Amino acid sequence: MRQAVPWVLLACVLAYDGYAVATGSNYTLRVLSVAGIYAIAALGYQFIFGHAGALALSQGTFVGVGAYASAIAAVRWGLPFDAALPLSIGLPVLLAALIAIPVLRLQTHYFALATLIIGQIVQLAATDWIGLTGGANGIGGIPGLSLLGAPIRNGWPTLALVWSTAALGALIVWAVMRGRRGAASAIMRANPVAARAVGIDTARLRFVAFLLSAAFAGAAGSLYVHVIRVISPEVLSFPVMVTILTIAVIGSRLRIAGAIVGAVLVIEMPEWFRFMRDDYLLAYGVILLLVVVTIPEGVVAAAERLFRAGTAPAPPRAADRTFVFPGAALEIHDVRRRFGGVTALDGVSLSVRPGEVLGLIGPNGSGKTTLVNAITGIFPAQSGTIRFAGTDVSRLLPHRIARHGIARTFQTVALVDDMTALDNVALAAPGTWRTARGGAMVLLERMGVDEPMRRCGELPYGMRRRVEIARALASRPRLLLLDEPAAGLNETEQADLTRRLRELARSGLSMIVIEHNIPFLAPLADRMICLDDGRTIAQGRPAEVQADPRVIEAYLGQLAPAAP
Amino acid sequence: MIRRAAILALLAAAPTVVRAAEANIPVLVPITGFLATEGTSQRNGALLALRNPPAGVTAKYDVTDTGTSPEVAVNALERAVSDGNVTAVVASMLGTQMLAMLPVALENRVPLTTMSGTAEITQKGNPYVFRFFPADSVVKGAQVRYAIDTHHIQKPAVIYQTTAYGQSGHAEIDKVLAANGIKPVYEDALDVSVKDMQPALAKAKEAGADSLLLQLHGGPTALLLKAAAAMNLRLPIVAGSGLSQASTVALLESAELKGVCGETGSSPISAETPGMAKFLDDYRAAFKSDPDGFAVGQYDATMMVLTAVKDGAMTAADVTKALATTRYPGLAMTYKSDGKGNMAHSAVIICFDGTSRTPNVVKHYEFPAE
Amino acid sequence: MLLPLALNVLALGASYALVALGFVLILNATGAVNFAQGDLVMIGGFVTVVLASYLPVPAIVLLPILLAAMAALGVLIALAAYFPLRNRPPEAVFISTIAVGIILQNAATVLFGPEPKAAPPLLGVGEFDFGGMFVSRQSLAVIAVATLLIGSLYTLFAHTQFGRRLRAVAQDREVAAAIGIPVDAMIAGTFAVGTALAGAAGLLLANTFFVTPTEGANYILKAYIAIVIGGWGSIPGAVAGALLIALFEVLYPSMPVLLPAVGTGSGLFSQNTSTIVLDVVILLTLVVRPQGLFGEAIRQRP
Repeated sequence: MRQAVPWVLLACVLAYDGYAVATGSNYTLRVLSVAGIYAIAALGYQFIFGHAGALALSQGTFVGVGAYASAIAAVRWGLPFDAALPLSIGLPVLLAALIAIPVLRLQTHYFALATLIIGQIVQLAATDWIGLTGGANGIGGIPGLSLLGAPIRNGWPTLALVWSTAALGALIVWAVMRGRRGAASAIMRANPVAARAVGIDTARLRFVAFLLSAAFAGAAGSLYVHVIRVISPEVLSFPVMVTILTIAVIGSRLRIAGAIVGAVLVIEMPEWFRFMRDDYLLAYGVILLLVVVTIPEGVVAAAERLFRAGTAPAPPRAADRTFVFPGAALEIHDVRRRFGGVTALDGVSLSVRPGEVLGLIGPNGSGKTTLVNAITGIFPAQSGTIRFAGTDVSRLLPHRIARHGIARTFQTVALVDDMTALDNVALAAPGTWRTARGGAMVLLERMGVDEPMRRCGELPYGMRRRVEIARALASRPRLLLLDEPAAGLNETEQADLTRRLRELARSGLSMIVIEHNIPFLAPLADRMICLDDGRTIAQGRPAEVQADPRVIEAYLGQLAPAAP
Repeated sequence: MIRRAAILALLAAAPTVVRAAEANIPVLVPITGFLATEGTSQRNGALLALRNPPAGVTAKYDVTDTGTSPEVAVNALERAVSDGNVTAVVASMLGTQMLAMLPVALENRVPLTTMSGTAEITQKGNPYVFRFFPADSVVKGAQVRYAIDTHHIQKPAVIYQTTAYGQSGHAEIDKVLAANGIKPVYEDALDVSVKDMQPALAKAKEAGADSLLLQLHGGPTALLLKAAAAMNLRLPIVAGSGLSQASTVALLESAELKGVCGETGSSPISAETPGMAKFLDDYRAAFKSDPDGFAVGQYDATMMVLTAVKDGAMTAADVTKALATTRYPGLAMTYKSDGKGNMAHSAVIICFDGTSRTPNVVKHYEFPAE
Repeated sequence: MLLPLALNVLALGASYALVALGFVLILNATGAVNFAQGDLVMIGGFVTVVLASYLPVPAIVLLPILLAAMAALGVLIALAAYFPLRNRPPEAVFISTIAVGIILQNAATVLFGPEPKAAPPLLGVGEFDFGGMFVSRQSLAVIAVATLLIGSLYTLFAHTQFGRRLRAVAQDREVAAAIGIPVDAMIAGTFAVGTALAGAAGLLLANTFFVTPTEGANYILKAYIAIVIGGWGSIPGAVAGALLIALFEVLYPSMPVLLPAVGTGSGLFSQNTSTIVLDVVILLTLVVRPQGLFGEAIRQRP
């Protein structure tokens, strides 16, 4: 039922298109053609704004650049629509690649401003470079659409070409975002750090999303300029960007049907309000605000929620293989890390043998999580070396380290609530999406997760912990870092977890387990290390470390700071 | 005469006897966005004519805002012509929108009347476009010639806007100056968002300018004149049509306007003729504001269409033919197509004497169609 | 030349500072960008024009009425566009305030007409004569009023219970709620103050520079840039950023006059080049120092 919602909505749009063709004047057909063009731009915008989760305000600029490329090619060199299309797509992609280098790594509002400013520069250039762009007057007399030399008339032929292109675009989005890339984007939006920790190159994912956005925008721009047949810097102005953003938000930013339904709604809406005369734009603003406020997830996602079915699709079959995890050795030598004036790691050295479980204890703020962050490259060590399986990994980026075979879990569970347990695990697994999901089933069974098709947000807390460990295992690690895995678990669950972790260690996996819960840790760990103030203060067998007076003092000092 | 009108009105009220000729004239102009002020004048001029058509004609009309984007203008035109039976269209004064609407007008064979000054719209060989405001070549010719005739300028500074209006006007100004062997000593292009005019003025002065030729929209024209007065610049200023708008003048003190001149198609507020005086009164009564050259130009254009209908033009084709071939004495001037759709061939120069905000028409320039 | 130029910079910068301050206050309290801030400046200008048509007094007298009206509008905007989305990501508010901007701009066109309008001067027109240097009274009054407003805002923040609570909310909303601060009321209050500041800027700017319904976009960009230059979330930074933008805007195009050696002929110092240069400078700032020139006041937790 839920799967049917976008199809029903799409069918409505198609029926409306059909109605327009059957009964419509040129006017209805033209407005719908323009809506189709915006749908293409919005489909592309979903890559960066929806899937990559970056508030880019450059989509309008890319549309404009694509439009100018086609316009100039048509008027100056006589190139028809189809011949100039590669240029219209290529130029915005090139621009996107160029500006991505400095701005793509910026955070939300900085990124938004940077893209806004780039848009302003491009618009000023189009206004000032009169020789090329015709300046503020723009370029008129652009020929209409044509394919392979055959002109495409106004009215239904244009409508058909525009909407076939939109359908092709939708197909591309579907093909690109289904499976692994979609799941990887979801975890990147939910928690970029966790995404990198499972080996996802988030910078690359964002970069590709940005280029795809620009490509779609370029195609939309090319269609636009041959349908409207004039161009001026107005196409580069902020209102065009706002229209695309509005379409994405009203339609639903992650749904293909959302871009299409949104485009038809947003482009047609002002026409419906024409009867209000001077107030129609005011009404448009009010409706926009109402929609954004009442259904912020967009109409398609909201409709899906209304029809959300109780039955989940059947899980894929578990792969036949059972996993073994051959462990590898970790050697840490004299690692240091400072944050501002605070020394978090002050020359830590330790080693883990293959198949060994190392317990890491220490009072709050002693540097345990910082050490894990240093090993996984999230906050790299400022000095010292970290060698893993014979390679120095201390200067590598987090996703590279993850791909070397170091996996981790987080203190607070970092899963995508809106995605199934299965897909949360599969996104970290190698191979094709099908084999990744098959493998994920094995790991979920192994961790005792019995409802793999439930969305993670609906699972109980203990289950979510297990899903997270399964995800860490999915990348076939040789070293597993667990940050307080027992936190929030009851005693039965703790015992169950100990059993499963020991089993993994028996198969050869090396592990570092951070834990305050000594009764949980002591039977699990082969060896324990205690950190205090960023230094190792004790190490040895669990019983020895527990009895060490320095360890007791460190913990006591935290419990009773006023003690003499 | 009165009896004749009464009889006609009676006849009109009795459709079974004789139908009054009906004209369907959609009004598609920008009333929001950056050309809203000019577009509103254009709309008001059209409305005044449509609400008071010549006896024997009834006018049907619908006003649609075209905003600033070409696609909205095209959509509006497609919608207007979709029910057939359009007599003529009052079309946007925004050049880009006109260029976008031209192919649609050609396809549907409906005449467009416009106030757009953009040269290109009448250079496409499209027989359905009729420009009732003097083209840039006419008004800019008047502006430069007046500056040369009156102030004997040698080293003008040209300050214009980075909009279609500004850039087209600037190109024409430079052309006319060059034809007179004059080269501007300073040129500056300003975005409409520029608020502080002092740098531009100071640079013009520094460059040794002996006069200022402007091609700015209304608001920026007022900003510049204010800044010039504050700086005590004392250079002759000949402005573009931005100065002729009542809303521009309302922003300035009379003293700040002293000695400033500008070009426009016509100056209804100066009420030079009894017809114009009546137009001024009617306009003020209807819209509670003062008309400018765009308003009277579009009034004349719409009246010419309505008059053609009264004289028997039944279809868009008839009206197109009438617009293309007849001579029409309007309030502002006599209109006659040059064969390309340019209907207006004269411009006026208005000047302020510093005692009031009402300008005087100091000079008429005629540029007969070639 | 220099004294009037410096006063221009200060008057413009002080007005921009009010806009940027309103922007940063709301940003700090909610973590969200209020994209309608520029349109609120425009509304402030038009409300002043309308008030002046009923009360023909100097604008300084109208200021308290305007501040009250704008504060009320601010609360309304918080209710309509912020509170329903408080648990959504910050982009949601970004978009809802874009919608508010569209509403304000079109409401202004419908209510006040598209033409530029001028508000009355703060005290009166004319110039002061400083030994041959003529200085506009309006510029001086703008600087004085803006300084007064910024000063009272500082006092409000540093020395009142309201200010302390506001800062607590900006620091950590959950903690603030836990210690009994009425967080919602505080946020509504922030919208009131932020909107009132934008309105005040509108009043100050609308005499010299007029007001039109479409000019909001210009001001929001300036405020945004000022905040980035000054450090995301930093209040003194916002003021400094605004002054720097004004300095650049006035001085850069005047370079050929200030330094005749560079010549007036080249397009290097045109207004558009000036905008492009400023844009490029901001981009470089973002790339090299994403935390702004004065550091980031809102710390992003790792």
